[in-house]
Amino acid sequence: MSWFLFFWVVLKAILFSTGGFGPLPALHADFIANGWATEQQFAEALSIGQITPGPNGLWVVSLCYLVAGIPGAIMSAIALIMPPFFVVLVQYCYARINHISTIQGILDGVVLVISSFTVIVLAGVFKNSGIDVTLLIIAAVSAILAATRRVSVNLILIVAALFGAMFGGQ
Amino acid sequence: MGKKVEMDCLNLNDSDFTCQLLFFIWLKIGGTSFGGGAVTQYLIQENFIYKHKWITAEEYANIIGMCQITPGINIIAYTILIGKRLAGWRGIILSVLGLILPSVVITIMISAIYANISQYPEVQSGLRTAFAAIFGVSLATNWRNVKPILLQNKKRGSLAFAVVLAILFGSGLIYIFLDVPVVILYLFGGACGAFSYRYISKRKQEV
Repeated sequence: MSWFLFFWVVLKAILFSTGGFGPLPALHADFIANGWATEQQFAEALSIGQITPGPNGLWVVSLCYLVAGIPGAIMSAIALIMPPFFVVLVQYCYARINHISTIQGILDGVVLVISSFTVIVLAGVFKNSGIDVTLLIIAAVSAILAATRRVSVNLILIVAALFGAMFGGQ
Repeated sequence: MGKKVEMDCLNLNDSDFTCQLLFFIWLKIGGTSFGGGAVTQYLIQENFIYKHKWITAEEYANIIGMCQITPGINIIAYTILIGKRLAGWRGIILSVLGLILPSVVITIMISAIYANISQYPEVQSGLRTAFAAIFGVSLATNWRNVKPILLQNKKRGSLAFAVVLAILFGSGLIYIFLDVPVVILYLFGGACGAFSYRYISKRKQEV
């Protein structure tokens, strides 16, 4: 496996996508076609990306670690950091036109769509993972605690995970 | 560069800002935001908007909007813009390294461990309940993102408020029932927002 090709395949997938799961279709096609990864490794990497700290997109680091060890993980981390720097250019342009009410309208409209879309996508994953009353209660309590800021969000997640491990594993 | 950074820091009108603290906060977010993007976003809001008050909810909403049209991971783009806002290029470097270094190291460690223990039912069950909590946290995070936009438009009048509610719920319904690509939804939201803000701005000028 050529490291240069490996880096380019990862960078290309990130460069021509947006969001944490955006690079999935391109990476899946290239990694499977090149025989670098299996379906099982993709599933594992996506699960790990949901629980580890940092952005969801770090599932790519997990995948590259599983298929190419530490050098692969470091290369993918570098490839993940580079494309978002385009935002500096976006902001430069925005600063010159942000006084136009239309521009603010576009940004606010996009934020509303993203929020709605994100909740629906996560709700879909939640539903497909096998929903029940206990899980619904955990989700509702977590939402209330996070919104009221009374309990650290890390504590919420730790308690939820421990609860599942102790009472749901039988 | 040091002087420039100090000047940027002074512009914050907040005496507790230092570049070391900025790096430490990102390091803490990068090392403790177990639960992925939803939790990372929540901790960004918690630290920068509510605890230290270095950026406003409106500024953050603008940052989210700009980052959607940028390639790659959106949260890294948020990190870049927040770091730049607080301490220029030095802030960008400190923020990106602070977020990425611990989270990448922990991701690699967990990847190595996970492959060996994923077959145990306790692990699978723990992941399911953790994901339920992540979903709950994401509801709170997204509510915080839309709240300033809803409040601002409520003040503007009933038409503006009705339009933002229509974008919020309309885009969700379109996605569920028509299964259209996300890009189309972005265009729909952006176009509705643009027409609405322009119309209201024109009406104000006429009055």
